[in-house]
Amino acid sequence: MTITRVNLERFTAFKSIDLRPSPGINVLVGANSTGKTHLMKVAYAACYVSKTKEDFANKLVQIFLPSGNAIGRLVNRRKRNTACRISVYRGSQSLKSSFTSGTKVSESANVEGLIKWAADPIECVYIPVKEMLANAPGFQSLYSQRQIHFEAIYADIINRAHWPVPRDPMSPERNELLGILKEIIKGTVHAESEEFFLNSNQGKLEFTLLAEGMRKLGLLWLLIQNGSLDTGSILFWDEPETNLNPKLFGPVIEVLLALQRIGVQIFIATHDYAILKELDLRNKAEDKLAFHSLYSSKGEIAHYTSESYLDLHPNLIREAFTDLYDREVQRSLSGVGK
Amino acid sequence: MTTLNEENIQISFPPDTKARKFDDKKTHGLSHCMKAVDFVVEEADRISFIEFKDPEKPGASKENQMEFKRRFCSGGLNEILKYKFRDTFLYEWASGIAVKPIYFWVLVAIESLSEPELIAQTDDLKRKLPLKGPRSREWTRPIVAGCMIYNIKTWNRNMKRFPVSRIDSG
Repeated sequence: MTITRVNLERFTAFKSIDLRPSPGINVLVGANSTGKTHLMKVAYAACYVSKTKEDFANKLVQIFLPSGNAIGRLVNRRKRNTACRISVYRGSQSLKSSFTSGTKVSESANVEGLIKWAADPIECVYIPVKEMLANAPGFQSLYSQRQIHFEAIYADIINRAHWPVPRDPMSPERNELLGILKEIIKGTVHAESEEFFLNSNQGKLEFTLLAEGMRKLGLLWLLIQNGSLDTGSILFWDEPETNLNPKLFGPVIEVLLALQRIGVQIFIATHDYAILKELDLRNKAEDKLAFHSLYSSKGEIAHYTSESYLDLHPNLIREAFTDLYDREVQRSLSGVGK
Repeated sequence: MTTLNEENIQISFPPDTKARKFDDKKTHGLSHCMKAVDFVVEEADRISFIEFKDPEKPGASKENQMEFKRRFCSGGLNEILKYKFRDTFLYEWASGIAVKPIYFWVLVAIESLSEPELIAQTDDLKRKLPLKGPRSREWTRPIVAGCMIYNIKTWNRNMKRFPVSRIDSG
């Protein structure tokens, strides 16, 4: 079952938001500080605890890292002494948490519905903006033994990349996706102790020697190979365009569309026109897409959801290009040879 | 006010301009050897060459529209546009008319064309005409002073002196 609704009341940047995601690909667009990453992190935390059965509020603290681990700092700051409420839904099932701005420790936060929620665990992966696999050696042990100030998403993604391959045979669809990615990264990926390598025709290349974009695609290859991304799982990918040459956006979007077709729910946050346009050009009628525009309205964050890229409004990315275009026209009209 | 049309699009010119249809077999006379833009417009300080492409005219098949857009986005249309511009330039130069800075305005009437696509192809057209001389130096006598590719919406937003509209909305 996919995430069907995320409702946040007075949480971080949001006064109130009620997002209804598509079971397919969800694209979050909006200016900086409109809460795209926060929405994805909340939904990811809810999915994550469905497997580990750990405390939802504690996972939120690990992911958001409020100062002094004071969960109350995640309450929207517009009003003093107020409470926030987080609700994540899968159909009729829901996981909820509420706490006030004065709540100091996550144990004091109220969490509802975890037992039922965890009865149906969700495989989930969060790919952060920063690439982490090159920094994997030693990171896991350091993270588990010491209080280092890294959001849990970084440790989680390294753990996920280390997962062994499942017993079940590889489906033809996943096999095809691995083939596409192998073509792009020109090899396959494996780990030795905690270190990741690309096996290519140049031999065994350390991840630190690879371009960051290639490392990210190598990570995607691993996640498909080890079954982290398969039917029923959920992928959160923050700014997939980071460090990738725009020429690679097309194949990456093809992979995301194909994952969606085998039943992976996907959330991406992007600032990039070419990512949006690739999705617009490459999707087929049967694909399930939702574009969620987050924007500031009267000092509050609002959102608008559409199934089609062209209906997305406001679209700050497109507006930026419109402005560029009009300035290009003015330059051309004023001549000579500019 | 002069109103001219090409395919399913009409364009209006204010009284202080001299606008004529250029790509016309009767008046051009050299269409067996020279390509031509659709209109030539003379103003006090400049001459504008104008070309219309209307793949979405009523009755056009969806397949042809998609093929045209694909050709446009891959730079294929610019290959044709550069010859249209250069031949028109030569014709007008030899006729003694091309004595003012020349601008080239192209209208590609595809509603779904977005600004990034129009900018990308405008940049490509600048390279192909070409706007600049060798090693990006300014020409002593520039071939073209400015060029831009528009759709109907961006044309009417920016070229208010020469408004365009569809004759038959289909």
